[in-house]
Amino acid sequence: MFEPVFLAQQALNGLSFGALLFLLASGLTLVFGLQRIVNLAHGAFYMLGGYVGIIVATTTGNLALAALVSMIAVGVTALVVELGLLRFVRGQEMPEVLLTIGVMFVVADLCLAIFGGDPKTLPASASIPGALQVGDLTYPWYRIFVIAVAIVVGVALALVQSKTRVGAVVRAGVDDREIISAMGVNISWVFTGMFVVGAALAGLGGTIGSGVLSVRPGIQNDVLLYALVVIIIGGLGSIKGAAVGAVLIGVIDAFAKAWIPEFAYFTIFAPMALVLVFRPTGLFGRTA
Amino acid sequence: MTRARTLNVVGLAVLVVLLLAFPYLGTSGYQVSLASTVLIAAILASTVNFLAGDGGMGSLGHGAIAAAAAYGAGWSSLQGHSIGLQVVFAMGTGIVVTIAYGLLSMRTNGIYFLMVTLAVGMVVYGLAYRLSSVTRGENGITGIQRPAAFDEPWAYYLFVVVSFLAVTAALWVVSRSPFGAGLRGIRDSESRMRSLGYYVPAFKFVAFMISGTVASYAGLLSVWHTHFVSPSSAEVHRSVLLFVMVILGGLGTTLGPLVGATIVVLVENVLSNSVERWPTVLGVIFVLAILFARSGLVGGAQQLLARWRRGRHDPRPLAEASTADATASGPNPSA
Amino acid sequence: MKSTTTSAPRRRGALAALGAVAALALAACAPASSSDPTTPAPEPSQGETSSQGAEEPSGDGGTLKVGYISPITGNFAIAGQEMVDGWNLYWEINGTEAGGVTVETIVEDDAGNPELSLTKARKLVESDGVDVVVGPLLANTALATAAYTSSVGIPNLHPVAAADDLTQREANDLTLRTGSMSGSQMNYPGGQWAAEEGHKTAVTLCPDYAFGWESCAGFKQGFEANGGEVTSQIWYPNGTSDFATYVSQIQAAGADIAFVVTAGGAPGPDFLRSFMGLGLTDSQELLMNCCAMDQATLRALGDEVLGFKSISYWAEGRESPVVTEFNEAYGERFEGKIPSANVAGGYMTASLVAKVLEANGLVTGADLVTAIGDVSFDDSVLGAVSWDEFNNTVGSVYIREVQERDGKLYNVPIKEYPAVDQWLGLDPTESMARETYSQSFQG
Repeated sequence: MFEPVFLAQQALNGLSFGALLFLLASGLTLVFGLQRIVNLAHGAFYMLGGYVGIIVATTTGNLALAALVSMIAVGVTALVVELGLLRFVRGQEMPEVLLTIGVMFVVADLCLAIFGGDPKTLPASASIPGALQVGDLTYPWYRIFVIAVAIVVGVALALVQSKTRVGAVVRAGVDDREIISAMGVNISWVFTGMFVVGAALAGLGGTIGSGVLSVRPGIQNDVLLYALVVIIIGGLGSIKGAAVGAVLIGVIDAFAKAWIPEFAYFTIFAPMALVLVFRPTGLFGRTA
Repeated sequence: MTRARTLNVVGLAVLVVLLLAFPYLGTSGYQVSLASTVLIAAILASTVNFLAGDGGMGSLGHGAIAAAAAYGAGWSSLQGHSIGLQVVFAMGTGIVVTIAYGLLSMRTNGIYFLMVTLAVGMVVYGLAYRLSSVTRGENGITGIQRPAAFDEPWAYYLFVVVSFLAVTAALWVVSRSPFGAGLRGIRDSESRMRSLGYYVPAFKFVAFMISGTVASYAGLLSVWHTHFVSPSSAEVHRSVLLFVMVILGGLGTTLGPLVGATIVVLVENVLSNSVERWPTVLGVIFVLAILFARSGLVGGAQQLLARWRRGRHDPRPLAEASTADATASGPNPSA
Repeated sequence: MKSTTTSAPRRRGALAALGAVAALALAACAPASSSDPTTPAPEPSQGETSSQGAEEPSGDGGTLKVGYISPITGNFAIAGQEMVDGWNLYWEINGTEAGGVTVETIVEDDAGNPELSLTKARKLVESDGVDVVVGPLLANTALATAAYTSSVGIPNLHPVAAADDLTQREANDLTLRTGSMSGSQMNYPGGQWAAEEGHKTAVTLCPDYAFGWESCAGFKQGFEANGGEVTSQIWYPNGTSDFATYVSQIQAAGADIAFVVTAGGAPGPDFLRSFMGLGLTDSQELLMNCCAMDQATLRALGDEVLGFKSISYWAEGRESPVVTEFNEAYGERFEGKIPSANVAGGYMTASLVAKVLEANGLVTGADLVTAIGDVSFDDSVLGAVSWDEFNNTVGSVYIREVQERDGKLYNVPIKEYPAVDQWLGLDPTESMARETYSQSFQG
């Protein structure tokens, strides 16, 4: 149970699963940070992105194109939801969250109707074949690719947040909505934009993730649960927190399933419970 | 406004009579059984409604509390206990789970509270699966019997009606009591209440205990209705549907949960017979309710009635206009 | 200020008085039209229920009304839909008449939720007056429905449910498994085969709930009864999506053969993806169960799974005119797809009902069950099948390999174990006296 190859494999398993969780959670936490909405339809956006990505990948064999198309598709869906529905309940926490529940029901059922109930995975033609071989250790390149994508996305988000004007506006909006709109920024469009970006990230996660987890009816709930756990641990609104939370959960999950399988089911809730009891706003969240 | 009062009383009386007379109106056993399902769901939804409406604490864990109580009864029935002992185990299990919820959630509010209830719900679900020596795992426990006096579906239905009326009345009384007023104060502003000297965590905990105890009772009723319990009763989806019922009916209203439960149960059970995409229909109804009838059907109806009665624009904010009787907040519309 | 204190007690008092009076009155009498679930009284408005027999005013031999419950929406939609499609396909090919009896089907969705299954079952029995209930799919829904239907005297046929106890400890005279096998039953020969192939050690990976426990127990008993040893058993929580951690554990176990079970759907492709990705395709011998290597997995992964072996009661690549006809008919109507075990289960159940009606005319209730017990097939879509005294199927189990034929992938049998029953070589009473399978008790 402690041989180096096994440990290395499980560590990589944990990191790659964590990378996927980060892609998922980053969109969710961004939207919450700015708009104080927990978008419970986020899982459904992931699912939609997965299905669209797989279809494009199957027809073109090109993963990058699949990711792009799925991000656009999910982004447009989110735009429609934002402009058509969420705008009407802007500022009221409960109705916003509840609205996203309704959207989740509809998107999930329509996905079943349109894409069917078969589980779907990324076709081999679009995936990255082969594995890394280091001594006795074999590890699929695709999962390493997922880690790379997550790192790139994370760094990009952090840079945008801290180095660009858009990022500054967003950070200001998080701190104080009224001042930023008094300064002439159309806060409404900032909100819409952020919601779309968050959803697009979910779509990207869905496409990339389809090479690791099959997309199937019901995945929206599983995925949402993991994402919520990650952002609770990391702190709502914090990209850094989402990254830390995701890696933590991924690694704990992988090793717990190997070492304490009795508690395999509960391993993701234990850290969350601890954080909630000792530091309810999360590891990197803002207090109050 | 005694005319309004009388109208309310008469309306309620008519409702009660209709509920009680349902089995005698030429309905089939299936329809009576469906009505029992609606009422049990309404009881459970009322507990969510009480906690969220008066307490401002939205919980996604009440389905799991009811399921825990159901498992208590189920396990007890497997041991061959008498019905009385089964009731004790059911309520006991439910209350223990409620205490766990209460202790974990006392320090949190808003979205964090929601997450805690969600997580504890998932843990209950996981336990239902894993502790298969106790819970029979995924297969669930069948053959749970209810008291012989209620064996017939119409008899059980009447028992459920009485339970529903009792629960609704009890929650209404709690809501109108000073405790309820304090709870609403905490919902509106915790810091203000603290500065007034209220010990907030105790209020929240007691509110959760009341809500959870009634939810445990609903779980018992449910297992007596279906003679069966399985882990799917503890799924998050069931708790989400409870929330949908509360919102559709009207958060904070007395009869909202009944209306919401009727709609959801009918869509799930009856509409699904003819419409394959019924989950979409449910989602759309829900979205429309949030957008256009934010205080739910009952709340919206009350506002319309109030507006019609006064014949002028209602100056009170929508959320507060949704309660049937005047509460401490808002100007009084009576002449 | 509107006074709440004076009117509230008055209102409450009025309600209480009303309630008390009504309760007293109603407690004394039972309503006329409500039917008691313990007496199977047909609704007077339904014309065609027949617990008596074949005398029907329509003249032709009567109608058998079938209530079909399946999860058509929700997480198991694909399996539920396929189960319905299989049933309907049979009647489309052969017409809805058998032995002069017309078969009428009403399909209801239970979304995989046992409370819904029960409500639908009640509706079908009490409002629609069905003679037989077929389904539902999932173990907990199946057990709940069987408990209800047996209490009202309606036979309940299960085309796909694999819970052992359905035909063992929770068996009743009116519940039958008609289109599949129990979890332990269908995997026992897998253990036998593994031992016969010369493997000495095995590691098992099964989901951590009843279906998984029963399946692994079946394999383990078959393997160890033939000289093998299961060195390690790994259990994964239901709902697992990422199997990489479990594949690593399988690799670390270093056994001659790995036996992997899923309940169908996404875990099959998910597991295989990790398995192949971590490079174990050539180094670890693998046997999967029916549902992990079903058509859904083949469709998802394509050529990557050529040569993989699995065990099931259904083999779509079997050389038989019945299977060929079935495959072609399904492919014609469903975009060239090949039927999965769920379709086969539905189709098998329909074949059974048709055969019973042809032999006996219209039979319902306990007579239907007895008639089924007398039926056997020399060749059906599942091969040679008959039913034991606990209303479970007895039939062949196939070791299959994924092969390509005409550009499509089939599970082709490479070994057949005929006449497998659910008792795994034990005496029924003895078998049922043992505890139910769990992580700790694997036979």
